[in-house]
Amino acid sequence: MKLEKGEISSSQLMFLVGGFIQGSLLTLAFAKDATKHDLWLALIAALMMSLPLALVYITLALKFPGQNLFQINDAVFGPYLGKLVSFQYIMLFLMIVSSNLWFAGDFFLTFFFPETPIIVIMIMFAFICAWGVRAGIEVIARMSIILVLFTILIALTTFILLLNEMKFSNFLPIFDIPIHDFIQGTNIMMAIPFNEVIIFMMVIPYANKMKQVKTSVLYGLMIGGITSLIVVIRNTAVLGPLADIVVSPSMEAVRLIDLGEIIERLEALVGIGLILSMFLKVSVFYYATVLGMAQLLKLRSYVPLVIPVGIIGITLALTNESSIQFTYTAMNTYPIFSLSFYIVLPLISLLIVKIRKLPK
Amino acid sequence: MISYILKKLRYLKLLNVNYADDQKKQGTSEYGQSTPIKLSQSLEKNLIAIRNLIGNNFDVIIREFSFGDHINVALIFLSGMTDQSMINENIMKPLMSESHSSQNETLKIKDIAQIKARILSVGGVNQYSSYDEIIDGCLSGQSILLLDECNEALAIMTTNWKSRAVEEPKTESVVRGPREGFTESLLTNTTLIRRKIMSPDLKIESMKLGSRTKTNVCIAYIQGIANPLLIEEIKRRLNRIKTDSILESGYVEQFIEDAPFSIFSTVANSEKPDAVAAKILEGRAAILVDGTPFVLSVPMVLIESFQSSEDYYSRPFFASLIRSIRFLAYFISIFAPSSYVALTTFHQELIPTPLLFSMAGAQEGVPFPAVMEAIMMGIIFEILREAGVRLPRPVGQAVSIVGALVIGESAVTAGLIGAPMVIVVALTAVSSFVVSAQSDSGGVLRITFVILAGFIGIYGIVIGQLGVFIHLASLRSFGTPYLSPLAPLSIRDLKDTIIRAPIWAMFTRPRTIGWHDPERQEFRLKPSSPSEETKEQNKAVR
Repeated sequence: MKLEKGEISSSQLMFLVGGFIQGSLLTLAFAKDATKHDLWLALIAALMMSLPLALVYITLALKFPGQNLFQINDAVFGPYLGKLVSFQYIMLFLMIVSSNLWFAGDFFLTFFFPETPIIVIMIMFAFICAWGVRAGIEVIARMSIILVLFTILIALTTFILLLNEMKFSNFLPIFDIPIHDFIQGTNIMMAIPFNEVIIFMMVIPYANKMKQVKTSVLYGLMIGGITSLIVVIRNTAVLGPLADIVVSPSMEAVRLIDLGEIIERLEALVGIGLILSMFLKVSVFYYATVLGMAQLLKLRSYVPLVIPVGIIGITLALTNESSIQFTYTAMNTYPIFSLSFYIVLPLISLLIVKIRKLPK
Repeated sequence: MISYILKKLRYLKLLNVNYADDQKKQGTSEYGQSTPIKLSQSLEKNLIAIRNLIGNNFDVIIREFSFGDHINVALIFLSGMTDQSMINENIMKPLMSESHSSQNETLKIKDIAQIKARILSVGGVNQYSSYDEIIDGCLSGQSILLLDECNEALAIMTTNWKSRAVEEPKTESVVRGPREGFTESLLTNTTLIRRKIMSPDLKIESMKLGSRTKTNVCIAYIQGIANPLLIEEIKRRLNRIKTDSILESGYVEQFIEDAPFSIFSTVANSEKPDAVAAKILEGRAAILVDGTPFVLSVPMVLIESFQSSEDYYSRPFFASLIRSIRFLAYFISIFAPSSYVALTTFHQELIPTPLLFSMAGAQEGVPFPAVMEAIMMGIIFEILREAGVRLPRPVGQAVSIVGALVIGESAVTAGLIGAPMVIVVALTAVSSFVVSAQSDSGGVLRITFVILAGFIGIYGIVIGQLGVFIHLASLRSFGTPYLSPLAPLSIRDLKDTIIRAPIWAMFTRPRTIGWHDPERQEFRLKPSSPSEETKEQNKAVR
């Protein structure tokens, strides 16, 4: 039984990972309270730390060619415990889908449509992601290249246009924060975009060249990391201490663009970039959720689950009270909570695989 | 909603199947293959039967005569579709006069094969033995020669009818390049392609579609370049068509396209032999339908709509510039009205302040919201365009005068629409003509985006655009991804997208289409200044 018939090439996988990381460009700001102007250092540290973890995921995926995360769980933990672990993962993915929906809705509510009900924005966004998921991972992967290039283009353009606003003295003094704050910041950074690549254990089985998977995923991580670095450096250099206070530093930084009073007010670009890159991220999570559920329930196709899961995701998102509560959760609770999924469970799996010499 | 429509369609299909089954039971099925009725030995019987079948048409001529030793024959032909002088000179004359002049030989001619071999001085002669074949041949312009005491008939190629001469096509005009276009006659069209590609590998296969129209349809491709699976798939889809009429290539297109519910067409059409020849040489297959100058080609990719045959005839820099202008125009034609609506309705803060003031001043006193204005103007423009296409030439001026009043100064002074809107709509209208191959999808997208923008501003536009993108990425035309070479990305094939590389640099065919024989030309064909060696040679010659 194969739920997904599509195939993706190694370059598509690379761009998919890159676009996936870019989908968190605006949520990077969650770590800013902990790290202040050393955000970029935390970002680099998180990127470096996430590379070995990504290798763990890839090794696991390559040990079981053609099998995704949930099938590997079954193989590693046995059919019953494995199902339980898979169920936990599905819940986590569903939660991430709903949080991202809420984040997109809240962002547009705050900056573009103060009077529109948030549910309208979320429904439209969920609808488009559901459309993508129904079309399959192959279509999402095909789209990724253009979306990634577009996001990089936006990041570079705004960076260049803001060059004369930048004060690089804003980075001084370097490493001015207590070490535990730095660790916390790095952990937040790892939890929100970088470790989420575990989701690609659901996608790697559909890659057509298994040998190139490792390089594709690592290069993809680098693409996403470097784009994030450009954005973080831009924000801190332009805004200075202000970057730690405002709700969305990217928005505030791009707002300052003023080229001869003709090219100004480009913050719509940030909004457009947010939707385009977040579409990739949410679609991949959405896809994994739906595919996992279909596997757990032994369905023949995942398509009937797409709309119900979307509705559940929106409803779950509506339980968020305010952006303050949301940010608090993302900063303090979630990074610790997610450690077990991103680090503990995969490492245990790998250990069991080594001990039991799986797959037999 | 689409699934609802599909369900209905499936239901209708079931009805049809039942209907066809009923018909088969009654033995009058249109599509059922009944055993052909053979000709009988007697000329009289044959003629009675044929008269019953087609005799009461005024253009059918049945000429009975005898030759030689009182051998009765009958010649049946359609008066409008045959070459009369050819019938007189090459069929009647040899039979009637020459056979008389040499009496002793004619006595032996009783066999129809001998008439074919020795008397008829015509190129194409077929021997038929059933009524169906005779009737089909006669209706397609052949002359049928029936002989007494013989159960076979000769079908003589005398086909000739008036058709339009090869003219410059109305749709894809060029400044530089061949000016000939396809005509309504299939034979002329295949000839035009063959004259471009004089290779024995160019295969033109024919089949008949439509149980009543019996339209000739040809598939043209180059053996060795075109993917054999593609040809097989085309034949499979064409053979699937069980209809009674094929009047234009549009009929065929709608029967064989991959995505019938898509606003994007997955089958390309062209009126220019050079464009079609270029597509065939890239590994595509062309489908020619009798009776229309529009030749289909598959598989189609989106980029094709932005390519014009002239791009390849002019030099690469200018061609690349024009390409990018075309892309820009397409995006303007889709996004200009919706962006205007979004900016003025939701995001006034994004407009530079001086511009905002002047726009607000122009918009003052206009009673409608921007969405209404945009939709109204869009519809009015479409009406004017449609009227301009359909109306008889002498009335043309009236439309242009009225059109200028409706979309123009008067509408603004009357306070019905704002002046900026007029500019936006005019720009959109002009841009939409640049990429004519996608003008139909562009129109639908424009209206959709305007509504989305009126609903929820830039967010709506981006969401809508993502939707279109998902749709485009999931489309395939005969197995080829519609967005290739952009998605899936094929860096080597980007040479012929937004930029057009020089001809000498395009040494491979598009990978997704012509993978079968990728090499088009030699690698080092870049023109270079003559080397020292050749210079010395030249001196020696002098």
